[in-house]
Amino acid sequence: MDLNFLFETLVNLLPGLPLTLELAAGAVVLGAMLGLPIALMRISGMRLLASVAWLYVQIIRSVPLLVMLFLIYYGLGQFEAIRMSFLWAFFREPHWCALLALTINTSAYASEIIRGGLQSVPRGELEAARACGMSRFLMFHRIVLPVAIRQALPAYGNEVIAMVKGTSLASLVTLMDVTGIAASIASETYRPVEVFVVAGSIYFGINFILTRIVTMAEYRLTPHLRSRPISPIQSVKETAI
Amino acid sequence: MNQSGFFELIGFGPAGWGGTLLFGAALSLAVAVCGVLLGAVIGVFGAWAKICGGKFVRGVANAYTTILRGVPDLLIIYLIYFGSSSVLTAIGRFYGASGFIGFPGFIAGTIAIGVTTGAQATEVFRGAFQSVGKGEIEAARACGMRRMLRFRRIVAPLTLRHALPGIGNVWVNALKESSLLSVTGLAELMRQAQVAAGSTRLPFDFFLAAAALYFLLSVVSGLVIQMAERRSTRGIRRVA
Amino acid sequence: MSDAKVEVQPAAVHLKNIHKSFGGVEVLKGVSLEARDGEVISILGSSGSGKSTLLRCINMLEVPDSGEVAVAGEVIRLQPGHKNLLRRVDHAQVDRIRSRVGMVFQGFNLWSHMTVLENIIEAPIYVQKRPRAECIEEARELLEKVGMGSKGDYYPAHLSGGQQQRAAIARALAMRPRLMLFDEPTSALDPELVSEVLRVMRTLAEEGRTMLVVTHEMAFARDVSSRVLFLHQGQVEEDGAPHEVFTASKSSRFRQFVTGRS
Repeated sequence: MDLNFLFETLVNLLPGLPLTLELAAGAVVLGAMLGLPIALMRISGMRLLASVAWLYVQIIRSVPLLVMLFLIYYGLGQFEAIRMSFLWAFFREPHWCALLALTINTSAYASEIIRGGLQSVPRGELEAARACGMSRFLMFHRIVLPVAIRQALPAYGNEVIAMVKGTSLASLVTLMDVTGIAASIASETYRPVEVFVVAGSIYFGINFILTRIVTMAEYRLTPHLRSRPISPIQSVKETAI
Repeated sequence: MNQSGFFELIGFGPAGWGGTLLFGAALSLAVAVCGVLLGAVIGVFGAWAKICGGKFVRGVANAYTTILRGVPDLLIIYLIYFGSSSVLTAIGRFYGASGFIGFPGFIAGTIAIGVTTGAQATEVFRGAFQSVGKGEIEAARACGMRRMLRFRRIVAPLTLRHALPGIGNVWVNALKESSLLSVTGLAELMRQAQVAAGSTRLPFDFFLAAAALYFLLSVVSGLVIQMAERRSTRGIRRVA
Repeated sequence: MSDAKVEVQPAAVHLKNIHKSFGGVEVLKGVSLEARDGEVISILGSSGSGKSTLLRCINMLEVPDSGEVAVAGEVIRLQPGHKNLLRRVDHAQVDRIRSRVGMVFQGFNLWSHMTVLENIIEAPIYVQKRPRAECIEEARELLEKVGMGSKGDYYPAHLSGGQQQRAAIARALAMRPRLMLFDEPTSALDPELVSEVLRVMRTLAEEGRTMLVVTHEMAFARDVSSRVLFLHQGQVEEDGAPHEVFTASKSSRFRQFVTGRS
């Protein structure tokens, strides 16, 4: 157990961390922005929109992230039309290709999670909101969204973790994220096990922190799902009645 | 992308790479199947450990699932493939051979997929077991069924029924993970597509074809799972 | 103070010839109803007679296929649409009218992610745009009135059915409604919790509130309401004061209904 080497590797891998985090965060945010309209299309009730959205989700969920990534990064370069256009500045950079691939990938899962959240609001509570004279917009904002977010939080936490793991594929398009640096160190030092274990620990650490954050958020947002803590004064008052 | 040219490319004629791609797809399927089988075995043990294991065993199982939940599949593949290759290379060097000896990609792939899907399967089986109605198990005990019989006739079938959707998910994940095995040089679908793309300078065509094949495999898998689910929930679905 | 003696206040609710079908089955076959301020009308009938549907047509939770709905003299704008069935056209009007009509549901329908107090102040603040402090104060008074003074910070999941329904009544009252609709308010409650809700409703009736109550509680219909409506298969079979209707009903079906129930 060469602790020195392990520590050295850790230090060498850290420069890849910002890229990993940035790709993950970017994909999550953009993916949610893309996933929301798709979720809305699916619950819209209009057959055409719903079917298109459903097909999108099915396809994206079935195709491996790697294929999507290569399709965008290597594949699009095949077309002269793209190479000649202003888009090429975007598509020839592995950074943007990776971000795009990750975004599209997560948008499908995000849309399903969002859809589940939106549909989890009990129908009766929606009726009560309408019966009070709430406009559709007000109802969405005050009743649907808060409940949907609470419902979607655990599943969304998983999706964010999946994104962090997904960024490791960026290393396969020449990006020097944590995995990319790890692969190059491993091939130089011929000590793959130690290097990859350290790299794995970094990802594990990130995801551990993320899980803690999600659990805390879940706890703070759902007092209504826990059993009510009885304070001694209260219990006396209640028995008196 | 040339329309007729595309179909020629992926077809089976002289210029066609269809055969190569299909061979890759078959290999992807094969390694995914082997991986999932290994993962299922690990999953059963893992779930058993979490449900009725002692503190240490449960701790190990928890550590296993927690760690694999947080580490990218690619790293696991790198670890297993390059790790075992370096061991092999060292052994080879001991016997006088020089240079890098790669651990067989298929076996490394099976182990890697087995390890990652095993963690998922553990959770699926554990959840499935816990959603089996206590009442049904109690009834079996009340009938005087001994443990082994109870497990074989009641607990296992019911757990499997609840586990089906989750296992379907695990399978699709394994299929997608097999694409990552291309980094080991294994001639599965992704690797074949890469080779074809490099050779013909038409990456879009071939990665698109690969995507279509993965989609097809996924659709077929979905149908099979659906059929299995329908059969297994014969008794509990509401009529009309 | 206006010296209106001849000035007739528009009816709180006026339903004219309401027809409504669900999936080919006609549930309301031309029902008309006029409720004046201060009336407490109990709507009785067996399941499927259309009583809930009729109530829900008042605040447009159901849209009648044909007919006219007027609340406080204001006719709700509807236009024939697909298959010549009526559709809502003025959503702002409907929302405005709904904010003056309080509804109490069989399933309580309190918003589960908010405390009881937050439930009560929600519509006054966000729909009626009243100042927060005023709404909170009024909410506390209403909670006292329904006997839930100490339960403002509870979440609905921590309350019994009777408590939830009383909270729901307070929520409806907080909007200062012109009229209140009750859709089988006690049907989902355990028997021992029914009386606490009926007690609150009785208090409201005695205050002179305008209430339309779909119910199975015969005692309430007989003792508290000022008028009883009996619906059978989508039509009004009986409509009159309780003492007339319960003792000397002209409708044999109603007599059957009553004896089969109380």
